[in-house]
Amino acid sequence: MTIRRKARYVDLHLCNSCGDCANVCPVTAPDEYQMGLSSRKAVYIPFPQAVPCSYILDMDTCLGNNPIACGKCADVCEKQAIDFDDADELVTREVGAIIVAIGLDVYDPTEMDEYGYTRFDDVITSMEFERLICAGGPTMGHFVRPSDQQRPKRIGFIQCVGSRNPKIGRPYCSNICCMNTIKDTLLLADHYPDTENFVFYQDIRAFGKGFEDMFQRSKEAGTRYIRGLPGDIEEDPETGALIVTVENTTSGRLERHELDMVVLSVGVVPAKDRDKIAGLLTLSKTSDGFFMETHPKLKPVDAPTRGVYFAGFCESPKDIKDSVCQAGAASSRAGALLNAGEIKIEAITSVIDPEACSMCGLCASVCPYGAITWHKKEVATVIEAACAGCGACGATCTFGAITMRHFTDDQLLGQVRAILAEQPEEKVFVFACNWCSYAGGDMAGISRIRYPSTNRVVRTMCSARVSEEMVLEAFRCGAPVVLVSGCHYADCHYIDANRQTVKRVQKLWDKLEKAGVRPERLQLEWISAAEGQKFAKVMQQMEDKRKLVTPDEIAHAREALKPKKKKARPAKKEPAAVTEATA
Amino acid sequence: MATTTMAPFRCMMCGHEYQEKVVQGEDVERSCPKCRSNSIRHLKGTKK
Repeated sequence: MTIRRKARYVDLHLCNSCGDCANVCPVTAPDEYQMGLSSRKAVYIPFPQAVPCSYILDMDTCLGNNPIACGKCADVCEKQAIDFDDADELVTREVGAIIVAIGLDVYDPTEMDEYGYTRFDDVITSMEFERLICAGGPTMGHFVRPSDQQRPKRIGFIQCVGSRNPKIGRPYCSNICCMNTIKDTLLLADHYPDTENFVFYQDIRAFGKGFEDMFQRSKEAGTRYIRGLPGDIEEDPETGALIVTVENTTSGRLERHELDMVVLSVGVVPAKDRDKIAGLLTLSKTSDGFFMETHPKLKPVDAPTRGVYFAGFCESPKDIKDSVCQAGAASSRAGALLNAGEIKIEAITSVIDPEACSMCGLCASVCPYGAITWHKKEVATVIEAACAGCGACGATCTFGAITMRHFTDDQLLGQVRAILAEQPEEKVFVFACNWCSYAGGDMAGISRIRYPSTNRVVRTMCSARVSEEMVLEAFRCGAPVVLVSGCHYADCHYIDANRQTVKRVQKLWDKLEKAGVRPERLQLEWISAAEGQKFAKVMQQMEDKRKLVTPDEIAHAREALKPKKKKARPAKKEPAAVTEATA
Repeated sequence: MATTTMAPFRCMMCGHEYQEKVVQGEDVERSCPKCRSNSIRHLKGTKK
C-alpha cells in the first residue's frame, strides 16, 4: 500500500505552536473549520484540537514558495521550522487489513433556491449554526445572526433539507438531523430562554436510546413543532425579517411565521472522494452512493473485498454511537484476520490457462472482486486469495482460457447433455444459483408446495457462471424452454456478479431472435432462498411455456443454433515492401 | 446530474410492453409491472 503524505512546509518536530508565523502572515483566507464565518492565515492550525498541534502552510493561499514571494513566516520563526522546500512523500506499507472510514460531506443547499440560502444572510445551515453557538466558534459562543450581529429572537429550523427528497436524487434519511435539531433547540432554550424556536418537519425520527426523552424535553421547553415543510422563504424589505409560509398538516391551516433566522437542517452526502477509494479497493456502492457491505445483517462491517472493513458514515448515515460501535467491530474483525496466521479460502476458484489466454482483459473487467490482474498485451492472472468463485470470468471468456475449479465448462455442459439425452421436449431446463434460487427450490420442497415435476436443475455457484454456450447447448440438445435464475440484486452473494447474467441474457435474447428462435423460450428470474412460493410459481409458468413449444420449433432451434464451423485463418500477408513512392 | 430517459421494455414472461425511466449509471432490478417477472428485455436497439 502506498500512502501519500502531503507536504506541511512546517517541520513537525521543530514547531512549538507559538503562532509568531501566523501573526506576521499577510494572507487571509476563509476558515474552513468555521464554515467560512471567520478567516485564517495561510500558515495556520486547522482547528484548536488538531493532533499534532503544529502549524501547516497552505501553499494554495500562500504568496508562493518558488521563488519565495514573502517569507515573513520563515524570517520570524526562531525554531526555523518553516521549510519551503518540503514536498509530498510516498510511504509504502505492507498491511493485512484496511478499514475504510472516509466520513461524509454535508449537503450544499444552494440548489434548493426556494429556501434562499444564497439570497438571505440569515438563512444558514445547521453546520454554520453549530459554529455560531460554539464557544470555540467565530463569535466565541456569542450567538448572533450574520446580517446585523444582533441576537435572533425567533428561530426556525427546517428539517430534511437534502434528505428524503427523491426530486433532488436524495431519497434516504440522513439519520442525524432530527436529533441534532432537538439538541440545538434544547441548547437555545437553556442559554437563551427568551428565544422562540420553531421546527418545521415531515417526521421526527427519535428512535435511539434516550432520544424520545430529549424530544419531549424540547417540546416542554417551548419549542413549537410544526408538521409541514415550507414552500419558500421571503424577506420583508422593511424589517429584514424572514417570512416563512407553511401548511401545518396537523391542523390543516396555512401558517405564516416571521423569523429572525432560519436554520436549514442539511442532510449528509457520501464523501466526494469515495469513487477513488472504491476504485482502489474494488468496492461497490448502493444507489445512494454509500459503500455496500457484504451482508446487511450477517457481515455489516465487511466489504465484499476480503480484508477491507467499514466504519462510520461511508457505509450509511449513522450517529456517533453507531459509528463508534461499527469502528469497534471493524477493528475487531481486522484484528481477527491479522491474528489468524493462515486463512482458508474456497477451493472453487478460477484458473487461467496462459496458453489459451488471448490477453483481451474481459475477465478482469467483469470480476466483481478485482481478483484478476491484467495489463495490455499480458496474460491475465488470478489472485486466488481474492477470488470468491462466482465464475463470471469463466462464462465471459470465449477462448476457453478460464477453468472454474469444480464447475468447469466440461462438467456443466456434460450435465446439460445428460439431462437432455432422453425426451428433452418434456423437460423444463433450469440453471439455478447455489445461494438463492437453488435454496428457493429447497424451500418450496420442504414447505410441501406443489409444482410441476418436469423441471431439471443444474446448480452453479452464481448465475453469472452460466455462459452463452451452456444456454445454447441446452437448446441444441432439444430443451423447449430454459430458465436462468439467480439472487435478487441486493442479495447477490458475489457483490454484483448477477448483473453480468442480465447482460448475457439480453445478448442471448437478441441472438435467439436473430436465429429465428422465439426469445420467450429463454427466461430470467431472481428467486431468493426464502421464495419457495415464487419458485413454484415460476416452475408452473415455465411448464405452461413448455407446452406451447412445438416439435418443429425444437427441431429448428437444434439446427439454427448449431455452432458455426470456424473458418481457417487466412495466412498473414507479407507486409508490402516500402517503395520510394509510398514512403 | 445523472441523465434520465424513458426506455421501452418487454416482459418475456407475459409479453407486456411498457416504458420505464432509465437513469444513466443506475443499477436497479427490473420486474414487470403486470406479472412481476424479472424476464425484462430492454428493447432499445432491438428490431420489433
